[in-house]
Amino acid sequence: MIASDRKQDRKTRERDKYAKKKSSLANKYGLDYMIRFLFIGRRSVRAFIIPLLSIVLGLLVWQWLTQTHADVILDFSNIPSPLHVYKSFLNVVVTKAYWKDIYWSLYRIALAFTIGSIVGVSIGVALGYSTVLRLIVAPYIEIMRPIPAIAWVPMAILLWPTTEQSIVFITFLGAVFPIVLNTWDGVKRVPVELVKAARSLGANRISVLFHVVVPYAIPNITVGMALGMGAAWFALLAGEMISGRYGIGYFTWESYQLIQYGNIIVGMLTIGILSSITSGAIYLLKRKIVPWSE
Amino acid sequence: MKDIGHIEIQRVCLGYKSGLDTKTVIQDLSLTLDAGSFTSFIGASGCGKSTLLNAIGGHYKPLSGSIILDGVEITTPGADLGIVFQQHTLFPWKTVKENVRFGPMRRGAGRAAADKLADEYIDLVGLSGYESYYPKMLSGGMQHRAEIARALANKPAVLLMDEPFGALDAQMRASLQDSLSSIWENTHVTIVFVTHDVNEAIRLSQRVVIISRRSGSISAIIETNRDHDEPIEQYMQSRRTQELKKRCLEMLPA
Repeated sequence: MIASDRKQDRKTRERDKYAKKKSSLANKYGLDYMIRFLFIGRRSVRAFIIPLLSIVLGLLVWQWLTQTHADVILDFSNIPSPLHVYKSFLNVVVTKAYWKDIYWSLYRIALAFTIGSIVGVSIGVALGYSTVLRLIVAPYIEIMRPIPAIAWVPMAILLWPTTEQSIVFITFLGAVFPIVLNTWDGVKRVPVELVKAARSLGANRISVLFHVVVPYAIPNITVGMALGMGAAWFALLAGEMISGRYGIGYFTWESYQLIQYGNIIVGMLTIGILSSITSGAIYLLKRKIVPWSE
Repeated sequence: MKDIGHIEIQRVCLGYKSGLDTKTVIQDLSLTLDAGSFTSFIGASGCGKSTLLNAIGGHYKPLSGSIILDGVEITTPGADLGIVFQQHTLFPWKTVKENVRFGPMRRGAGRAAADKLADEYIDLVGLSGYESYYPKMLSGGMQHRAEIARALANKPAVLLMDEPFGALDAQMRASLQDSLSSIWENTHVTIVFVTHDVNEAIRLSQRVVIISRRSGSISAIIETNRDHDEPIEQYMQSRRTQELKKRCLEMLPA
């Protein structure tokens, strides 16, 4: 190695050292690092950190509003703080009543939604497949469809012997219409060529119904079920708040009446979680039964 | 030679009724299709060739006249009359194998027997290895192959094909035409093939029936008399074939 090379070598080493020192400084102060992390960092990390910060900030604002008893248009003086809600949750989650309420709501949803799906799909297929049935049944659908399930509450109480049955009935009404309409729509869209192909392969009318029409409509049916599930929760909570004895809707409403304001928010969040879980279940069901549409 | 798949078209009129009006498409058409023959219908679009094919398949009722398959009038679609449509009509929720075995299972074959048949015909159209694919995962040409297998698995007396290769690129089309030729030579099912491509009609069939839009009836029947030992390219380029093509093209606009 000749002298000039050695000199060159030392020069680069010095430059490296300088760069290292500078970057450790930036690390120490962290500012440069933070900016990089948040705005030009890896997308997956950003996608996780920013929503988290957003939620934390929201909680802080909420805490601040309730602590200062802010009263600007919205009145926060009676609203429990996030910490209060958290304490209420810890208190309530160990009680049997809370889990019983959840159990009742899920039970009503499961019952009403199952009946709603069976009735809804049957009516929807009949409407799409038979002209005569369509002429007979469609007018009733058109009259009842725009009436929100909540408007049925007084009628339901009069119609059914027990409150329990009327709540399930209202929930059923919430679920059934989206399922009927989406099933009907799916059946209407069945391409005539598919039916002709099946007939030419020796399928009779019944075979065509079960092997062509219903399978073709299944993606639409699952859309109807997802919408129906949302509507069912909506109707269930209305029913429980007005005439229930158990159930998470009743829990939320009762918390208001008993001035346990922390529990109102615990109830609301529980409803949100339950509704997400049931909708997610439908999504999974769809993935399972229609792998061909993915 | 097979003795089933003989079609007798007797003075058939086809058309659509809309209210009191009747629009006739096919007028008083008579034609005999021998068992085991390969016939092409060609004509300008709107001449009624597809309608005629659908009527043979039992999907349209003639306004008058009758279409007779082996002595029995055709009134409804059925497993005897296999159809391959221009559009893709594989059931998207069934795999290739499930599609192909659909016909045999409707006719009461057991799962095992239907599976065996399905494998046989999937192999015949060159789709072995794709049994468990959904139609969406196949190319257009492969979907057509599967559709042909599905129609053949029923062992139909007649295979009706409605411009089946219309939407394919030239290479895919040629490969499917070759497959169809060899399938016909192996099975000797009666084939009725609708197309608007003169080359395709001459390449594949024994007889080319030219249907005129103006009269709604047959304007010419041209026999190709292809010698099947002759290589296909040589046949297509021979002077006689060129002559036939010219005659077809002259007849077409009428």
